[in-house]
Formats: sequence, structure tokens, C-alpha cells
Amino acid sequence: MLSYIIRRSLMAIPLLFGITIISFGIIHLAPGDPTALLMDPNIKPEDKVAFMEKYGLNDPMHIQYLKWVGNMLQGDFGQSLIRTGTDVSYLIVERLPNTLFLMLVSTLLAVLISIPFGIISARKPYTLTDYSVTFTSFIGLATPNFWLGLVLIMFLSVQLGWFPTGGIATLNEPFSLWDRIHHLVLPAFVLATADMAGLTRYTRTSMLDVLKQDYIRTARAKGFKERRVVYKHGLRNGLIPVITIFGLMLPSFFAGTVIVEKIFNWPGIGLLFVDAAFQRDYPVIMAVTVIAAVLTVIGNLIADILYAVFDPRIEY
Amino acid sequence: MKDLLKVKNLKTHFFDKKQTVKAVDGVDFDIRTGETVALVGESGCGKSMTSLSIMQLVPGPNGKIVDGEVMMGSKNLLKLTENEMCQIRGNEISMIFQEPMTSLNPVLTVGEQIIEVITYHKRLPRKEAVKQAIELLNMVGIPRAEEIITDFPHRLSGGMRQRVMIAMAMSCDPKLLIADEPTTALDVTIQAQILDLMRDLSRKVNTAILLITHDLGVVSELAERIIVMYAGQIVEQASVDDIFDNPLHPYTQGLIESVPDIEGEIGRLNPITGNVPTPEQMPSGCRFAPRCTHAFGRCFEEEPVLLSKRHNTRAVRCFLYDEETGVKNVTDTKNTYS
Repeated sequence: MLSYIIRRSLMAIPLLFGITIISFGIIHLAPGDPTALLMDPNIKPEDKVAFMEKYGLNDPMHIQYLKWVGNMLQGDFGQSLIRTGTDVSYLIVERLPNTLFLMLVSTLLAVLISIPFGIISARKPYTLTDYSVTFTSFIGLATPNFWLGLVLIMFLSVQLGWFPTGGIATLNEPFSLWDRIHHLVLPAFVLATADMAGLTRYTRTSMLDVLKQDYIRTARAKGFKERRVVYKHGLRNGLIPVITIFGLMLPSFFAGTVIVEKIFNWPGIGLLFVDAAFQRDYPVIMAVTVIAAVLTVIGNLIADILYAVFDPRIEY
Repeated sequence: MKDLLKVKNLKTHFFDKKQTVKAVDGVDFDIRTGETVALVGESGCGKSMTSLSIMQLVPGPNGKIVDGEVMMGSKNLLKLTENEMCQIRGNEISMIFQEPMTSLNPVLTVGEQIIEVITYHKRLPRKEAVKQAIELLNMVGIPRAEEIITDFPHRLSGGMRQRVMIAMAMSCDPKLLIADEPTTALDVTIQAQILDLMRDLSRKVNTAILLITHDLGVVSELAERIIVMYAGQIVEQASVDDIFDNPLHPYTQGLIESVPDIEGEIGRLNPITGNVPTPEQMPSGCRFAPRCTHAFGRCFEEEPVLLSKRHNTRAVRCFLYDEETGVKNVTDTKNTYS
């Protein structure tokens, strides 16, 4: 197992380089440059050139890339072009924990809600319960995240005042866990809904299939009660295909944070990314991309390890 | 020998929007302690559903046991609550299935799947259960039982898995073992070993076996008594010797004739023509009549009943055997339709 993890991690290195080359290329293909947004339109052309020169933006693309890679490998993501003088790594370190926290809570929320509902649906297929779960899932699937977020803010925060409208904590107040949770509820829920519907449907389908298997009949023939049959003999088998979906969903969670953080003004990496993209803040964009890629690779690795945990037929 | 299980007028039907499928339609038989009874018939004749009905594992929600009794001692199993039935399954009546490849849970070790039955029904501490599981595996002829116990099913061959199933089924010394086509999926050399194993075990702990099969070779190997089913009903019941020497029902005769005889001359086999009737086209008289070479007028009008008058040990559902005398009615057979 350990050698598998090492092998997989080594294999991820060329993959990550590929990702950085492509994203670097795409970002620089986009029209505009930092000077367009940053500076006074009346700036003298020679000052603009000096700025471009200072940050190496006049070099050919491959030189820019190699410089960037060289620095990155030494742990230096450069400085933000917009927030002049701020190290990108400082911005990331400041914000990444907020995003990871939001992602972790939403992932847990999504798993803890969808899997039980999927199982309930599968145990009573084609009944009112099943149809209600299915109906709700499809509504969830069809509802765009940003819309749900705005609607919830409007009703629950603005009109009813139950939750804050955004941010991670009340300003100018000492740290309190309750305050953090209070701020977390809406963004975590909205982020979770994105994948909850899919996860519920996959769990249902998979469990429905498993509960028809011969070994479930064997478990029943051994005299076990329904609960033991479903949870001990069914669930572990039923979750194997769900892990695949889960592994694919982790990157989409990361993508989801971009929207959710923007709506809820959550000071995470997604918000940083959106702002950076609009301002062509290349070093920040690249740093976030690298982190997203690394997280995706780690997510897939986790999914592959979970396979082996759940399914003894898989050996590494 | 004492009666162990008495099945009376068992009816298991499947309902859907369009129709009712009478998979088991009024089946009566009994099994005595330690006896091996074979339930024989073509695919779709209701033999598997009969066994699942005894276990009350008829696949829901469409399948339902609509009538009848399954008496075990003074208890009617069909009247027990689900919890009480859980005490019977795997404990007093256990079951093995046709597909050893898929009947074991792929994510649990072989040992765990045996141990959990022992701890569940016998309420033994785990250590004790592990010891018993190893003994059981040794008993069913699995070498290196101490190692196999921590293995997962996918590492075992089909024959080995069926041995594990048998070990599991025998773990609580059941009074009745229902074996639903236990050797169908195995290759021939393994089949014989599994049959020998089942016979030895049933003798050792005096377990009765209800053997469900369409393979008459298996029947002659293992069973003492045979019940022949056709279209949800029993058409003939007799001892093994009687069935092979003198089959009464034309369907039984057809079944035996469609098996190649190793001693007889090599010729064409005589299969039974046609298929088991579908529920929509269930014949109004005798259900076998449209395929029967001896059928005559009455067969298409009335439904024969299962008679056991003169032939005390045997019973047959056919008009060829007169209700009063129980012997073959010669004049009627001359009027055969073909």
C-alpha cells in the first residue's frame, strides 16, 4: 500500500507539470494585462513599459514559464501584481485553511445527508418515500448554486435575520466557535447541495443493485435481521461505486467554492481566485491553479485508497 | 421416523398490475427427520419458490405467500413474526444456493461469514466461534482452514466456496438443510465431492435435506424420496427406486426418458416437447395435458387431484390412474390424443 501511494505520488509529478503548462498558456492567451486594470489610464507609456519589464511580463512566454517554475520549485510563488508587495504564498496560507474548512464541512454534510437518504430510497424502492427523495434530489440537481445562495441570503439572512449575510466571522469581535459555525451554516449547506443530489442518486442505484445480490439473500437465509443485512452485508458493497463518484466530486467541490465564496464573501481561496482572474493577477492565478491541481490529485488518491479499504478484491 | 416439516396447501403468488402468477399453487408434502427429499422439475415449475416460501424469503414486494401452512413440530412457520422467523433461519433451517460464486459476501472474510452465524444464533463468545469455524471448515474438507479463515471469497474456487456455504449452513446443526441446485454451477468432479459431503454431514448430525434440482443424476445419488413438480403443483411423489423403476406420471416418465442412459443403446433422446405453460396460458384441465402423449378428453376438461389410494407410499396427479383402484386405466390410454 505504501509503495502504491509513493508510486502514485511520483506519477502525479508529470501530470502537475502538464497542468501548469496548459493553465499558464491559457491565462496568457486571455486578452488584457494587469496594467489595464491597475493603472491610471493617463499613465505614461514608458512607465507602463517599466512596470511590464519589472515583473518580467515582456519576456517570451516560455521564459516566463520557466522562471515561474524555477521559483515555484523553491517555494516562491512570486508577488501579487495587484496587491503590490504581498507575497502570493502569504495570501494562500492566509486563505487556504478557510477554504479547506468550508470544503471539509460541506463534504461531510453532503455525505452524511445523501448516503442515508440513498439507502432509505433503495430499501423502499418505488414507494412514496423513494419518490419524495428522488423528487427532492432532482430539485436540488436543477437548482443552480449561486441562485440558491442568493435566495437563502435573501430569506434567511435579510428578512428573517437568522444567519449573517456573509463573511467568516463577525468583525472586531474575539474568536468564538459559535460565531464561526453561525457564519458557516449557509455557505456549507449551499456548497453541499451541489453534489448531494448526485450522491443520493448514486447511493440509491448502487444499494438497489446490491440488495438484489445473492449474498444478500444468503445473509437473510442466515437469519439476520433486516438492519444487519442492509448495513453489514449491503452497505460496504454499495459504497464501492459511490467512492468513484465521490473522488470525481472533490474537484467539483473546489470549483464550487469559487462561486459560494464569492456569494457569501467567504475569505477563501476561491474568492481570491475570482478576483485575481478579473485583474489578470497572473502569479495568484497560477498559485491557486497549482493548489487546485494538487488537491485534485490528492482527492483521487484518497478515492483509490478508499477502494482498497472497502473492497478486498482490489490489491495494490 | 418422525415428521420434521409438514407443508400443507402452500400457495405463493406473484402479483403485478396485469396478472397474478401462481408460482406455487397448493403444494403438500412432508419431510421426516434425517431424510433426504428431492424436489424435481423443469425451470419455472416453482421448486425454488417452494423452498424460499418455507424460509419466507420470497422476493418482495410482488411475491406473497397467500395460503397454506408450514408446520415444524407444533409451530406454523407462516404464523411466526419476522423476529421469530430470524431465529429459525440459519439455525433450524438453513439454506445453500446454486451460485457459490456470488452467494458469499465479497467484502467479508470467509471466517467472518461463518463466525457471525455462530455468534448470532448460538450466542458464543467470538474466540469460541472462531474455533468452531475452523472445525467446520476442516469438516467440509477445506485444507489449511486456519489460513483460509482470513481469506476473502474471491481467492477460493467455486467448489471451495460451496464448501464454505455448506460449513456456514451446517454451523448451527440445522434440522433441515435446503439445497437449491447446490451442484448445478460446479464441474462434474466437484459435483460428486459436494454430494458426498452433503450425504456424510446429514448422516452425522441427522439433518434432513430438501434437495432442489433438475438433475436426476444428483437425485439418484442423494435422495430417498422424490417429489416431482410441474407448473406450481406436485404431480408425483414416490421413493427413488419407484420413480426410476416405474414412473407413473407421464411427465415423470418424460423426465427420465430425457436423460441419456449409460447402459442402454445409443439412440436419440426423447425430450418432452413444448414448454412449461406461461401463467397467461395455463391450461384449464390438467396442466401437463397439452404436452402429454397420453392425454385424452377428460384431461382437457377437469383438473386431476393428487391421489395416493392404493399406492400408499406414492401419489400421482393423473387421470390414467383410476381413482378407485389406483391402477392404470387401460381403455383410456387407447384414446390418446397426439
